[in-house]
Amino acid sequence: MTLSGRFVLLLALGAVPIVLFGPSVEAAAGVLALWLVFVLLLGSLDLALAASPRAVSVERMLPARVRLGESATSELYLTNTGRRRLNAVVRDAWQPSAGAGLVRGRVVIVRGERRLVSLTLTPFRRGERRVEQVTVRSLGPLGLWNRQASLNAPGRIRVLPPFHARKHLPSRIARLKELDGRTSVMVRGQGTEFDSLREYVRGDDVRSIDWRATARRGDVMVRTWRPERDRRVVILLDTGRTSAARVDNEPRLDTAFEAALLLAALTSVAGDRVDFLAFDRRVRGRVQGATGAALLSQMVDSMALIDPELIEMDWAAVPGQVRAVTSQHALVVLLTSIDAAGASTGLLSVLPQLTKRHTVVVASVLDPATVLAAATRGGRDEIYRAAAAERALLDVARVSAAIRQLGADVVTASPAQLPPALADRYIALKAAGRL
Amino acid sequence: MSATLTSPEDAAAPGARAGGGPASATTVATPTLRALLRRSSFWVIAAACILAIAIIAVLVSGGSQAAGRALAGDNAAPAGSMALVEVLRQQGVTVTLAGSLAEVRGAVGADSTVLLYDENSYLDQSQLSELGDLAARTVVVAPDFLALQALAPTVGFGGVSDAETLTADCSVPAASRAGELVPGGDTLSIPQGEHPLVTGCFPSGTDTFSLVQVQNELTGDLVSLVPDPRVFNNENVTGYGNAAFALGLLGPSDSLVWYLPTLADLPRTGPPSLADLTPGWVTPVLMLLALVGVAAAVWRGRRFGPLVAENLPVTVKASETLEGRARLYARSNARLRAIDALRVGAVQRLARTVGLGRLAHLDEVIATVALITGRAPDEVRRVLVGAIPVSDAQLMELGVALQALETATSQAVRAGAPASASSEIFPPPAERMDP
Repeated sequence: MTLSGRFVLLLALGAVPIVLFGPSVEAAAGVLALWLVFVLLLGSLDLALAASPRAVSVERMLPARVRLGESATSELYLTNTGRRRLNAVVRDAWQPSAGAGLVRGRVVIVRGERRLVSLTLTPFRRGERRVEQVTVRSLGPLGLWNRQASLNAPGRIRVLPPFHARKHLPSRIARLKELDGRTSVMVRGQGTEFDSLREYVRGDDVRSIDWRATARRGDVMVRTWRPERDRRVVILLDTGRTSAARVDNEPRLDTAFEAALLLAALTSVAGDRVDFLAFDRRVRGRVQGATGAALLSQMVDSMALIDPELIEMDWAAVPGQVRAVTSQHALVVLLTSIDAAGASTGLLSVLPQLTKRHTVVVASVLDPATVLAAATRGGRDEIYRAAAAERALLDVARVSAAIRQLGADVVTASPAQLPPALADRYIALKAAGRL
Repeated sequence: MSATLTSPEDAAAPGARAGGGPASATTVATPTLRALLRRSSFWVIAAACILAIAIIAVLVSGGSQAAGRALAGDNAAPAGSMALVEVLRQQGVTVTLAGSLAEVRGAVGADSTVLLYDENSYLDQSQLSELGDLAARTVVVAPDFLALQALAPTVGFGGVSDAETLTADCSVPAASRAGELVPGGDTLSIPQGEHPLVTGCFPSGTDTFSLVQVQNELTGDLVSLVPDPRVFNNENVTGYGNAAFALGLLGPSDSLVWYLPTLADLPRTGPPSLADLTPGWVTPVLMLLALVGVAAAVWRGRRFGPLVAENLPVTVKASETLEGRARLYARSNARLRAIDALRVGAVQRLARTVGLGRLAHLDEVIATVALITGRAPDEVRRVLVGAIPVSDAQLMELGVALQALETATSQAVRAGAPASASSEIFPPPAERMDP
């Protein structure tokens, strides 16, 4: 049972008869008592006449997933199974970060009929957002006292990572296409294969002239090459404790998601096979053997539920995980964070095992605040901050140098720049035939 | 259309079907009032039991208010006089308990006895005189100065009795029948000389008495003054001849008025109080406003369904280690360490700027930078290694000088011959294939 503002107002109006008809204390107290009885009777009558909020059946229609930053419509169908006309206010009790706001639906349902209450959800956090209950507040005909009950109507919606980095995709695909049909590549290696013969045009590299074909055709022919296809790419995401830190108001993990998604999109266009693994001490998410559109949708789906764990990354298990994915030569992309040398010993100790078989790229977010702090030298505090920032940058540089020495490649960039930088590195490796 | 023609009983059925099979299984989370009562029945019963026990306990021990008023006729405590009053009633005396002079006036008859015990001196002289004239026999217990002035002007105070025993030693029947009284207590004194209308009993000295009886010479009314109230209280009435004395003094007539003055006897003086001036409806309206406040609190405070819980991520800024290290440097005045970090970073950047590579020797870097910028090598060496900062001001000066050197070097390099070597050694792969 709940009260309405109207009831409070009605109660307050009792002051008028008390003042008018109560010259003495006794008479006024009598009028007060009469007014209270009157108001309580009206309220009870209202309550008795209100339809039961329990006699409502709820059906929910929800999209299964929504991309972060976009809106979805939650539809709630309420059927009045009671005998009376239901005049109700409905609250759909979504978790706060589902972005439902404080919207309350107002419905009037004649007995036996069904009404739709729709709600726009604009989630502001990745993951799975849930709703358990629907609360119905049934108003009486006078609107004084209401009946209220909560009904179980569970629902869930999966909020996918936003993939803002997809804006970089067209330019990178265009750059990838340029690799096709080029007469020569910088380094001709395992990753390139013979494509076709075509007539020589001015500007072509004379080294790629195929003399045998020229002799056959009587015209100068050149060989063209294309990047090799069907290479393996393994994206391994570190979901350990360091991935929880926020850089530019975005957790490292989310930046890694963006980078992984852009790389996967690009890779599937280039015709390579992508396997995705999120790992700290156990596998948090895995996408294997998917191609095309299914790949991205499976990846965002598994990413939606991954949160940073408060445990140290188990680097010793990483080679085994990669081996379980593929035994061939592959491009292994480790999305992690490069910090101080001490914190990176785990990574450095297993890199030789990986670089022996695979091409390895270590990608890490570089905090733009650190770079800015290193260049700001105003007062006393700032000079010490600059020193600390410089020290942090030197640590990153040292670890990066160590990683390069072990035969792996390093990509560091600010959160906004990391996904395109990683994609560029992939294209460069592909052009160099190192996949 | 057919739905509008069906009877209400039929109309409910298609409505239920329209709701769908699974929707009809909606369960209600809010317990019904009956279920709530059943669940909390133990506490309800326990509270009721405690309440009942408390009420019974109060009723049983109801009469024995710890102290009560001294000599009150309905007070069974040691200081009260209920024993005496009850015995008098058993003897057929009508005892009326009076709390104000008006009540005494209404209760007193032609042949009545009045007992007055004005512990707090509520009565003024005129009231006391009036009281003396009301009844044929007046017993004044522990008279104060005003009472003596009004009723027996010749009698004075005699101090505390120091006699071992108090024997009657007079012709007053009640006194002679009692024989002796509880020793100690206050006494009254009768001045030397013949006073035919004044009788003193129970002498403790030559002219101090524990009972003084004064007869009005015009009306013949008797005023008995008993300075010691202990004679009448429950604690002492059974000792010595107290009971006989009290019964003899109070019991000669059929009617006894037991008068203990209260606040009602005080004459009302001064301007009318606030309560007299406010209209009668003010208190009830205040009560109504309090109720409105409670109702408004219920109206606004009642939740629309249960709270929804959600696990939120912890927000950790990645730059926190940087800030911590900066504060550590600043607190321990680690100037050398701070400037070292700044210098190492600067030297590495300078080496890259002038095209020497990361592993170039420091002397080489200094010489090249001095050459390019046109500064003295000693000055460059001082900034890059030589100077040891001993104060924060020097540290800041060095930090700014380092930055200035870097800026000057990069400007000189840009203005002079383009350092093509550097771009070959560190090719930015992302830029290489830009269209």
